[in-house]
Amino acid sequence: MVRTEPPGGAGAPPVPGAPPDPVELRAAGRRLLRAAARRTRAWMGLLVLCTLLRVLATLATPVMLGRAVDAVHTGDPTGSALTGLALVLAVAAVADTGEDLAGAYCGSRITAWLRHRLVGRVLELGVPGRRRFPPGDVLARLTESASGPAAFPVQLVSVAATLATTAGAVVALGLIDWTLALAFAFGVPPAVVVLRVFVARAGEPFADYQRHQAAITTRLLDAHQGIRTIRAGGTAAREAARILRPLPALRDAGHRTWAVQGRVSWRLALLAPLLQILIVAVAGLRLGEGAITPGQLVAAVSYTAMAVGAAALFDTFVALLNCEVGAGRVQEVLDTAPAVAPAPRPVALADGPGRLGFRNVTVRIGDRTVLDRLDLTVPAGLGVAVVGASGTGKSVLVSLVGRLIDPQEGRVELDGVPVAAVAPPELRRAVAYAFERPALLGATVHDLIAYGRPEATRADVRRAAETAAADEFVRALPDGYDTPLDRAPLSGGELQRLGLARAALADARVLVLDDATSSLDTATELKVTRALQRLLARRTSLVVARRPATAARADLVAWLDGGRIRALAPHAELWSDPRYRAVFAAAPGPGA
Amino acid sequence: MKAPPGARLLRRHLSGRGPALRRLAAWSVLESVPVFAAGLLLARALDDGFLAGRPGAGLAWLAALGLLYLCGAEATRRVYPRLAAIVEPLRDSLVTDVVTASLLRAEGPAGAGVSQVTEQAEAVRALLGTALRNVRQLLAAGVAALLGLAVLSAPLALAVTVSVALALGVFAAFLGVQVRRYRAVVRHAERIGESGAAVVEGLRDVVACAAEDRAARTVGASIDAQAEALRAFARSRLVRLPVLALGVHLPLLALLALAPALIVGGRLTTGEVAGAAGYLITGLQPGIILLVDAGGTLLLSLAVILGRLAEISAGPAPTARALPAAVPASSDIELDRVTFAYSPRAAPVLTDLSLHIPEGTHLAVVGPSGTGKSTLANVLTGLVRPQRGTVTLGKVPLPDLDPARLRDAVTLIPQESYVFAGTVRENLAYLRPRATTAQLDEAAEAVGLDGTLRRLGGYEADIPPGGGSLSHGERQLITLARAYLSPAPVVVLDEATCHLDPAAEARAEEAMAARGGTLIVIAHRISSAQRAHQVLLLDASGAIAGTHHALLDLSPLYAELVGHWRS
Repeated sequence: MVRTEPPGGAGAPPVPGAPPDPVELRAAGRRLLRAAARRTRAWMGLLVLCTLLRVLATLATPVMLGRAVDAVHTGDPTGSALTGLALVLAVAAVADTGEDLAGAYCGSRITAWLRHRLVGRVLELGVPGRRRFPPGDVLARLTESASGPAAFPVQLVSVAATLATTAGAVVALGLIDWTLALAFAFGVPPAVVVLRVFVARAGEPFADYQRHQAAITTRLLDAHQGIRTIRAGGTAAREAARILRPLPALRDAGHRTWAVQGRVSWRLALLAPLLQILIVAVAGLRLGEGAITPGQLVAAVSYTAMAVGAAALFDTFVALLNCEVGAGRVQEVLDTAPAVAPAPRPVALADGPGRLGFRNVTVRIGDRTVLDRLDLTVPAGLGVAVVGASGTGKSVLVSLVGRLIDPQEGRVELDGVPVAAVAPPELRRAVAYAFERPALLGATVHDLIAYGRPEATRADVRRAAETAAADEFVRALPDGYDTPLDRAPLSGGELQRLGLARAALADARVLVLDDATSSLDTATELKVTRALQRLLARRTSLVVARRPATAARADLVAWLDGGRIRALAPHAELWSDPRYRAVFAAAPGPGA
Repeated sequence: MKAPPGARLLRRHLSGRGPALRRLAAWSVLESVPVFAAGLLLARALDDGFLAGRPGAGLAWLAALGLLYLCGAEATRRVYPRLAAIVEPLRDSLVTDVVTASLLRAEGPAGAGVSQVTEQAEAVRALLGTALRNVRQLLAAGVAALLGLAVLSAPLALAVTVSVALALGVFAAFLGVQVRRYRAVVRHAERIGESGAAVVEGLRDVVACAAEDRAARTVGASIDAQAEALRAFARSRLVRLPVLALGVHLPLLALLALAPALIVGGRLTTGEVAGAAGYLITGLQPGIILLVDAGGTLLLSLAVILGRLAEISAGPAPTARALPAAVPASSDIELDRVTFAYSPRAAPVLTDLSLHIPEGTHLAVVGPSGTGKSTLANVLTGLVRPQRGTVTLGKVPLPDLDPARLRDAVTLIPQESYVFAGTVRENLAYLRPRATTAQLDEAAEAVGLDGTLRRLGGYEADIPPGGGSLSHGERQLITLARAYLSPAPVVVLDEATCHLDPAAEARAEEAMAARGGTLIVIAHRISSAQRAHQVLLLDASGAIAGTHHALLDLSPLYAELVGHWRS
């Protein structure tokens, strides 16, 4: 069975949703988290200092407590012992609070940094990146995966603090009486074994869980694109069922996470108190022998509680796992090399008339060769219509000019300079695009038109809108050009004209209209076509054409067939060829 | 007072989980028995055993405590399946609920809001799981410790309880500030989702405009705002300092300060002091700390997120009809002086439009964009309700029809073709789930989908999320075959062929007309009008209906459109 094109294709990175190796994912996450932590050194320092103070004060507390109990037991004045106890308790509390604050400051900075980098990389990955990371997946990583690591500094320091407290408590037990430390030592090995088993196996269900969750989000986003169909079809309930299809797998992964936690938790729940009883028993015997005081016994109970506090490491490890998995999912995106990479030493693009050349260009998408060693020269200042049956790669061809995608082989030149050698921003100032469905970017209608040129004046924007026959309907909007996009009721045709206005504002030497008038009905197209004539005059343009009339208006037609240019000639000349006429009549789909 | 919507939502989704919750509560009580007994048994072990020179008795008391802990661990082991039995179904029903609600809502949120929906349901699961696991355990231990303390020494327990109550009072007093700041955190997190969605979904445009920096700045601003909100929330947590002092430290100091007097009065022993200290340190202290740290944040998060989810799922759910739904007698459609505007302030899109569409008509609607063609499609399919005038189907006004019956009678295929992740068969049989392969074959052949079908690899081929390699034209062919298969007697195509070549469009439209029933084509090209029995021309100046030839004579605009198309 031939499947629809898999995202990626042969030799490409794994398809979205394929489970990445959990061990590698976590290792990558750890590297990223270390780099993130290094960036917030001052707060990390304060965090460590507070933690250190807290550990010291905590370790001193049982000593003070023991002294106070002994004073009570012997009937001595308790004043100085109580003052000492109050002091260490106060220090511990202040340090603890400082730790929380510093941890939040570090954590918020780490998450913000991860998010900034993720957004930056997604923008660098550009159009080809969407194959591997569809929008829903990117959003899940941006909002969910990147937020977990905020807990990383606190959790990491708390691991160190817990270990230090445990060690300190064991030493303190030894100082009270060597038998106590010995008794404690018997209880530790089982705890270590249990924890190691857990950490080695725990990552998988957690990673599975996040993956199934992202699958649901992706399906839900898809459905919202078709919300009108769903509402008109009354199929919301069925859609919900379809979106929720990964739910059983999610539930299954969820139950596994609980099972993993449960297997360890009850053993630890038993281990800690039994150890405490063991210590009290030994301490009690030594108390009977007069080797230690009642205060020391109370202190020993406290120290044992602290030492078995290492059991809390269990929760901390779970949290650290989540941090690593989350950061790992961010790193997965960061590790992906942009398919369209800027040249290391960009060449300046001198002013030019806008001559375009495609040299031996091959583009493969998945395992399908869309353009096959294609050659084409577009003379400067001419309008060229790209004509071809649906699926022959018209959009792919025009995407190459502004490097929205790059060819696997061959090169594209603008005024003799390979476009791959030019810095992308400079190239994209020279090549303007208008699409079939412009994205709603920016806050207002003005913003949408001026998205690529924020410095444009209101007059510039208005002139561009006039060129695209958009000024009239924009002024009829509630707040005209300042109408927020989410409150502007725009039809497909109106939106398309805003896209054309944006391209007009760019004033680029090459203009690419990729289906940019397809949503216009005949009546509106009449208006826009007249306006476009002014915009296209004396400018190089590539226009993806579906109608004979559009092709007829262009100076030349580039007839795309079988991955190559079959002819480059005026429409009138080609029209006599029945195979050319058939392109406009052909049903979509290659092979048709 | 009514419970907050979040609490009601939680209660609704936990209904039916009563037995699981009760079993969890029962095991929790068993789990905390050893904590309750610990101080009492320790005091006995010291006073009657080790300090009294009878180590055997001391060890026996401790062994009894050990046995209790064994029972406690068994309780802990049994708690986890109960937790999963509460939390996993809760997540399932919550996700199901919010996904369904977000599809039913008239004004759906943008992409960001959508992704937040599932994440927030997820957060509820995580938070409730943690709450049930840790907070439950430690609060139970705290209560057990206070009870044990009361058995040891009532005055001490009283002093401790007063101090703890004060601590809880302080905590409660600052809860409002914390809730507000935490809400801000959640709100800013949603903004990250919204601004991120706009950029991620519009990535091609961002790149083509070379506006990567600007896009990064927009999302970056919301990222930084959320980070600042997180820090502001952290500052509000400084209140933990007095709470810890009152709830943990003061009780311990009070115990030791009061102890000498109590011992002298014969109301306390050394062993009991040790036992009491044990209660405070191993029972009460972790409980209070958890309540202040995790518990506070946890309950706040739960409250805030449940509140947000309640807003989403409280959207206008399909209301149950009081009247018995009327049955349309035919598929005749009649519009009587219909006026529609998107808001009271906006100029009406349709004004006093009257139109009769008898059963079996092939009607084309033409006119420049912005004259209400899509609005007309929405009105005809009952997606929006006109402010004035009536629309009837078989003499029954649309609002009086059972919504399900209306959906069965009228199919709308919009311009933005909806192709979803699933097999080709599922996509085609969307409106007729039981369609046979023969019916699918017929539909595919009729609308011209057969070539695409061969390329995809047949009906069982999978279409990935987002439609994969399907071109816009191919997507429209799929939705057209879907409409062809629909059992509805009325089909409305709202520019549903705009990505097809004229010849493909003609083939598809003719197939739809030959299928029988009423066909209403919101025309993208004027050529659609030439194929129709009736043409409705919508223009800023009003509406004119007639045959193609009649309109050529009647309307100069129509004549100009036809002329332009032919040129």
